[in-house]
Amino acid sequence: MSRARLVLVVLKKELRDGMRDRRALFSLLVFPLVGPTLVSLMLATLVERATAEPPIRLPVAHAERAPALIRHLVNEGITVVDAPADPIAEVRSGRADAVLIVESNYAEALRLGRSADVELVLDDAREDARPAVRRVQRALQVYGQTVGALRLMARGVSPNLAQAVAVHEVDLSTPQSRGAVFLNFVPLFVLMAAFIGGMHLASDVTAGERERGSFEPLLLTPVSRRDLVVGKWFAATAFAATTVVVTLACTALALSRVPLHRFGMAASLSPRDLLLVLATVLPLTPLAAAVELLVASFARTVKEAQIYLSLLTFAPMLPALYLSLQPMKPGPAMAALPVVGQQAILAAIVRGEAPTPLAFFAAGGSAMVLACVAVLATAALFRSERIVYGR
Amino acid sequence: MIEASELHKRFVEVTAVECVSFSAPDAAITGLLGPNGAGKTTVLRMVSGLVAPSRGSVAIDGVDPRKDPARARAKLGILPDARGLYARLTARENVRYFGELCGLGGRALERRIDELFELLELGPLADRSVAGFSQGERMKVAIARAVVHDPENVILDEPTNGLDVLSIRSLRSFIRELKARGRAVLFSSHAMQEVAALCDGIVVMSAGRVVACGTTDELRERTGKASLEEAFIELTSTVRESELDGVSE
Repeated sequence: MSRARLVLVVLKKELRDGMRDRRALFSLLVFPLVGPTLVSLMLATLVERATAEPPIRLPVAHAERAPALIRHLVNEGITVVDAPADPIAEVRSGRADAVLIVESNYAEALRLGRSADVELVLDDAREDARPAVRRVQRALQVYGQTVGALRLMARGVSPNLAQAVAVHEVDLSTPQSRGAVFLNFVPLFVLMAAFIGGMHLASDVTAGERERGSFEPLLLTPVSRRDLVVGKWFAATAFAATTVVVTLACTALALSRVPLHRFGMAASLSPRDLLLVLATVLPLTPLAAAVELLVASFARTVKEAQIYLSLLTFAPMLPALYLSLQPMKPGPAMAALPVVGQQAILAAIVRGEAPTPLAFFAAGGSAMVLACVAVLATAALFRSERIVYGR
Repeated sequence: MIEASELHKRFVEVTAVECVSFSAPDAAITGLLGPNGAGKTTVLRMVSGLVAPSRGSVAIDGVDPRKDPARARAKLGILPDARGLYARLTARENVRYFGELCGLGGRALERRIDELFELLELGPLADRSVAGFSQGERMKVAIARAVVHDPENVILDEPTNGLDVLSIRSLRSFIRELKARGRAVLFSSHAMQEVAALCDGIVVMSAGRVVACGTTDELRERTGKASLEEAFIELTSTVRESELDGVSE
């Protein structure tokens, strides 16, 4: 019987066994559902809070003295109400964010071209009132500038004279790059899926075999150690790859339901982007599976293996953390590092840049080479008496 | 035919097996008898090739399991000390997996499994998950798994451990059936009745060494004791005394 058929026999058995293992299915299916749901909920509340401008209620004392100003405030979305008898107590108690008082000489001063006085009562120590106060201040400032400019024009003077320096801000961030901040969650989740999907299966087919005493009978069959490991490796890879695909699909679905466009961001990933993300992360699944098999082979029980492997899932997060603290453009050496290289590609995709084929090749190729090394090392472990019988 | 010659196994601190030689011929049942800790399992692991002997050699129908493991294992069916099953698979799936790993497949494999299950009286349980099986039923599945490829040589490490009388009876008839088909059967036990009831030849081990071998009658004759049990106690105690002598000198 050919070796390929033996590998297939092992693969089929491990997949069938894994599909009947509730815990293996749990890591296969629950992670992809929980992760994106959580992120999209988080994003949704964040977007909601940042974009929805709550109506501002502004008590104004003597509004009748400044009808034009009041019209301007109403146009800015501010609801003007009658002021209470004691404005200071009203603000101090927190019943109002601010109270505007129009002075008695307001109309007179405005007519004579002098500065017209209004008083804004506010409490700067109140954090929650600040956004509302800032909007009122901005509205008042705009009104003052508009009237000022009109006065200059009425006297035949260009309003530009009063503005010696004009600052024009050129914002280089595209809606896509602003969305990147949020979309950075996606690569992290998909990368983690690659490590989590095959985790339980990898520990069950190594430490689990030893724990339940089926390892020795298995090694007594004529199949070579390497064919056994390769079959188990394929099975764990299949689980990891399935988790990646399901996670990506769930994330895409979740993101499409978050109203990111209301945040001024065209932040959804196009189908082409999704395929690129898939093409980036899938070559990582054989590596994740192989390393998990190797690490779990040292454990005597599934529980022990799970402890080692859950530490291993931090692996994809470490480079991400480092890069966020120490932003740098990845050089060629880093692009060829598994996990780091993939993260660089993913970050580029999310920013809306096109990654080069070379980057794919370098990161994916190095992951495959390392995976093969880990598989051979596991096969060597299977030959050691200490691993087979070790207590 | 299983031959072991001058097997030694030294672990870091202890010598577990010292100069063990014996042979288990075809169409015969050979018993490896000895108290717990005598080194029986270590010897069987060296015979199976999973543990490398520190010195000495093994031949399975002339094949050294350390030099050509795949060929030697194809000729061997082993029920090792560890005999766990895959709890989420059925009895048939457990045995089929090992049959496929031995290169079998298709209808021939299914027929072989049916035959084994009938011999071991497992028929009605064939397609049930082994999770709910009794100890005796698990043992039978493990034995079926070990011999699914119909090997010329069969090694059973303490196959009757923890079984009830009925299971032991059906196991004995299964082992006799193997002998009738010309297989070499090597089986270890610490229970004298087991060995006396089944074996053509007996190898008695104590403290890592072979202290006697022969048929039941030969052993009784040699020790001058009426029963195999007394002969066994006599044989293993002489070793213990000589060991003590060695220490005092």
